Amino acid sequence: MSNEKTDSLETLFETLDEVVQKLEKEDITLEESFTLYQQGMELLKKCNETIDVVEKKVQLLDEKGEYHDF
Amino acid sequence: MQNVYTVKQVNAYIKNMFTQDFMLNRIYVKGEVSNCKYHTSGHIYFSLKDQSGTIACIMFASSRSGLSFRMQEGQQVIVLGSISVYERDGKYQLYAKEIILDGAGLLYEKFEKLKRDLEEQGFFAPEYKQAIPKFVKKVGIVTAPTGAAVRDIINIASRRNPYVQLLLYPALVQGEGAAKSIVNGIKRLEKEAVDVIIIGRGGGSIEDLWAFNEEIVARAIFDCQIPIISAVGHETDYTIADYVSDLRAPTPSAAAELAVYEYMGTAEIMKEYERRLRRTMIQKIGMTRQISEQKELKLKMAHPRQKLNEKRQRLVDLEQRIQMDFTKCFQSRKHKFAIYVEKMKGLSPLAKLSSGYSYVEDLSHNNLKSVKQVALEDQLRIYMTDGIVDATVTQIEEVTVNE
Repeated sequence: MSNEKTDSLETLFETLDEVVQKLEKEDITLEESFTLYQQGMELLKKCNETIDVVEKKVQLLDEKGEYHDF
Repeated sequence: MQNVYTVKQVNAYIKNMFTQDFMLNRIYVKGEVSNCKYHTSGHIYFSLKDQSGTIACIMFASSRSGLSFRMQEGQQVIVLGSISVYERDGKYQLYAKEIILDGAGLLYEKFEKLKRDLEEQGFFAPEYKQAIPKFVKKVGIVTAPTGAAVRDIINIASRRNPYVQLLLYPALVQGEGAAKSIVNGIKRLEKEAVDVIIIGRGGGSIEDLWAFNEEIVARAIFDCQIPIISAVGHETDYTIADYVSDLRAPTPSAAAELAVYEYMGTAEIMKEYERRLRRTMIQKIGMTRQISEQKELKLKMAHPRQKLNEKRQRLVDLEQRIQMDFTKCFQSRKHKFAIYVEKMKGLSPLAKLSSGYSYVEDLSHNNLKSVKQVALEDQLRIYMTDGIVDATVTQIEEVTVNE
């Protein structure tokens, strides 16, 4: 089963790859380049958001389904 | 000498005694396997021994269905069979009908049987294995909350990527209720929608690891919709859980490495994307600028002033050429003229006058070349180099020159 949340970073990288490759082609207009560049930067921002660069504490699950710090 | 018996009689007698003995006809004997030989005929010859002694055993090919493993030297086994006499050697031996492993061996046999059954049912089939997601956010762990395994997993995971959420389900991993506890953990974490689950424990004896060989655990792993990495015991320990799980890690530390991606590496990939984006954009802008500059230059070249200047230039050129042509033409005429002048000089009558000849004409300015043109008393005009003489004809004499 693919989990949407986790797939997204992989998908984001795939999309980024496509964007960069398109951008690196020579036969695109300047306007298209700007659009692609902007798309790329936004994708990178999304990557960072997805990773959520906040240190996480290990959580312990108890029988009642409650969380505790480990 | 009365009552003398043949060997055959004695052996037959003893054999009969054994056959009639109820206990010896169906007996369980346990001991260690030694001198085990699988004969090409399919019969197996071996001995059972303990500290006190040995007993010869044979399992006929026809009874082989009672043996589900390969017997090896030193194995502790329980043999069900009958004890009877082999008359030719005068020896009694155990005719085995079923052989099972004793103790730990029994567990091993159970393990092998379950493994076989599950394999037949497709529990280990590669097509059912789920891929471990590359970039996880939440990792579920089912293991004992104390001990090296959980520590190792947490250490490795947080070192690789402290931004991944670890969710620990503290489970019993050995003893009574361990299997049930592990199953609960898997189901519980499945509800938490984690991205991957690690189940495991540290090393131990086959009994210690037994919970991971239970069928309910195998089924829970198989049914779980979330990929599961198993990490039970040491690298050399294989449990049923390892076969069913989507990925087997040799140790708990390795499981953490397989489950959690390295943040630094990923961050570097992202930086590289950013660099590529920027670099390409800068190049693109530079290229566009260059093109625009080229066009500007072309446009400038096409300006009317430029054309005008060019025409002007052409005009100047033409003017110069005309001038040059004219001069050339003039010079050549001048030269020709000089030649004519020289020629004229040669033909001039004046030159002749200067060398002593004179030019004579009448009053009507006719040149006189013959005496027949004049009469006496005619007025003549004579041109000399330095002046004119008017004269009158006083005599006429015709002279004939002989040529």
